[in-house]
Amino acid sequence: MSLAAEAFVSQISAADPWPENATLYQPLGEDQILLSDCASSLAVQAYLRMCNLPVQVCCRPNAEYMSPSGKVPFVHVGNQVVSELGPIVQFTKAKGHSLSDGLDDIQRAEMKAYMELVNNMLLTAELYIQWCDYNTAAEISRPRYSSPYSWPLNHILAYQKQWEVRRKMTAIGWAGKSLEQVYEDVSQCCQALSQRLGTQPYFFNKQPTELDALVFGHLFTLLTTRLTSDELREKVKSYSNLLAFCRRIEQSYFEDSQAGSSSRGFSKGPSLF
Amino acid sequence: MGTVHARSLDPLPMQGPELGVHADDIEVPDVEQETKQEVLENKDVIVQQVHIDGLGRTKEDYLTYEIADVFRAKNLIDVMKRAHKARQNLLRLGIFRQVEVVIDTSQGVDALPNGLDVTFQVTELRRMTGSYNTMVGNNEGSMVLGLKMPNVFGRAEKFTFQFSYGTKETSYGLSFFKPQPGNFERNFAVNLYKVTGQFPWSSLRETDRGVSTEFSFPLWKTNHTLKWEGVWRELGCLARTASFAVREESGHSLKSSLSHAMVIDTRNSTILPRRGALLKINQELAGYTGGDASFLKEDFELQFNRRLIWESVLSASLWGGCLLPIGEQPTSIADRFYLGGPTSVRGFSMYSMGPQSEGDYLGGEMYWAGGVHLYTPLPFRPGKGGFGDLFRTHFFLNAGNLCNLNYGDGPGAHLRKLAECIRWSYGVGIVMRLGNIARLELNYCIPMGVQSGDRICDGVQFGAGIRFL
Repeated sequence: MSLAAEAFVSQISAADPWPENATLYQPLGEDQILLSDCASSLAVQAYLRMCNLPVQVCCRPNAEYMSPSGKVPFVHVGNQVVSELGPIVQFTKAKGHSLSDGLDDIQRAEMKAYMELVNNMLLTAELYIQWCDYNTAAEISRPRYSSPYSWPLNHILAYQKQWEVRRKMTAIGWAGKSLEQVYEDVSQCCQALSQRLGTQPYFFNKQPTELDALVFGHLFTLLTTRLTSDELREKVKSYSNLLAFCRRIEQSYFEDSQAGSSSRGFSKGPSLF
Repeated sequence: MGTVHARSLDPLPMQGPELGVHADDIEVPDVEQETKQEVLENKDVIVQQVHIDGLGRTKEDYLTYEIADVFRAKNLIDVMKRAHKARQNLLRLGIFRQVEVVIDTSQGVDALPNGLDVTFQVTELRRMTGSYNTMVGNNEGSMVLGLKMPNVFGRAEKFTFQFSYGTKETSYGLSFFKPQPGNFERNFAVNLYKVTGQFPWSSLRETDRGVSTEFSFPLWKTNHTLKWEGVWRELGCLARTASFAVREESGHSLKSSLSHAMVIDTRNSTILPRRGALLKINQELAGYTGGDASFLKEDFELQFNRRLIWESVLSASLWGGCLLPIGEQPTSIADRFYLGGPTSVRGFSMYSMGPQSEGDYLGGEMYWAGGVHLYTPLPFRPGKGGFGDLFRTHFFLNAGNLCNLNYGDGPGAHLRKLAECIRWSYGVGIVMRLGNIARLELNYCIPMGVQSGDRICDGVQFGAGIRFL
């Protein structure tokens, strides 16, 4: 299909309302999903909950390959498939659901800048820890990533993924960093976020935006995931306003619907309390 | 000295597959006429020595099995017959470019008066041959490099390598073949490959990397092949617009399967046969030797040919197969059967019938297809005895069906499902034989039993294939 035709189809379907059977796909929650994918998936779930758009979470071992961009999570809405937070935000906006409409241009630019910061620092640090730290890669990442596959495919795919991430790290100049430097980067990023948040409930005062969803996804996952060492968790924990921010979003968007929705339990993982 | 000319073999019936070398080629250079002549026909002779001249890397012990029969000859005609057979055997090994036979009276101290010496003068194939091709298809160009090493260790082993580098896909194949000494039909092969296929009818891209080993042997009138195959399969969507059902199948899987194939072929030619029948049965069991895919697949192919008046041939074929998943996991889109297209059920688009989702064909777990053809020579016989003999006109009637299995219903329901809503078509066309491996068809088709969702090709349809209904 030509680009014009594809654009036309997406325009047409944009007019349709958000269906009841929208589904979010992610890797297997118990055995397979890794820190970075879990954070991205949680960010998208938080965003959709903030928009009050119902979505069912579905775990598939091949979610990564089903995704049109090769990255998880992705949502299947009607006959459209959209992956990653940025495009999903655009997609919901086309359907008339947006969290950042109330912001002025300066605030919107600021929000975009902070979202870039989170993606460039937190997401990259998560990928670094998963695949470039020897212990984490050997004890957690490779066994979990390859858990759905049988021998010898499990080893091939895990090493292939590790090699791919390491190549990316070399390209962006992270390959030479030590684990301590990466922890320091995470700490600096948290410092920036903590200062921006201050004493407000959300980054742009009373109303949550996609930035809040993204920050929540990453910080909450860092706080609740068991890694080979607790250092990273302690670093994040030291910012009390960020900790309170995560608790606030968890309470207002995930806990009230807990009774009704069974999907919450395995989609978000453990609670902060 | 009585030198025998192999040309005198011509009136003898020739057995075995024609290898493209005619008896004329055996002709040896004329030797000057001797004054003393003796009639050797019907006289008892003894083959005293058999020589093979021109051997380089070929091991002699391997060839003794092929030529041993010549020693059993009792008279001259017998010697010529057996020498001819031995020559055919040697050529069949695929290690000699040329084989010539010279039969002469024995010479030397222990020569018997009725003793004969048979000499095979052979020219070996080169140690390594290469080929290079470039291909341009729709939106894709590729170059293909091929390397062949015949007779690599001197006992008819063959090593082949093919590498194709394209603008979109890269694929390669590496194979090693070894026949059993004295029994060329009993052989062993190991293959290593990577192939990528794009299937637009399913919006699917498949990359297979695999290893297979196979063992082939004749048994009575049949040929059997036992094979183990381990394949790493990577499926993906061909476009963003692929249906979700295809998207769900994306990802990696590992198939390890044992298969057995049996073939009985009494046809006089594989393409455009005039007489004979073919039966092929293939069965594959995946999952018991590891891997993610587990299923049992059964498949058969049957063809009968009968010669009628005016050189016309009536041919009937029947195909069928079923795929049974073992365990909980449903079958993969890569294992299921597809039907339709210019070489199966004509009048339908390539593999475009049966279960589908949003225009992407998902294949079926059970199928049958049948065809009746009447082949006749071209009207008015242009190019008779030459180029025109590569062509036939044919009238055909094809039918078939493809469906999925549903275990709740039982076998009776499956058969009913295959028998109702049959897809069928008829038409007329021209068939051209390409060597002895493939054929081209240009047909005018009228599809009749079209079910909703099937994509048809009403009118002129062009096709090429090596397997056809």
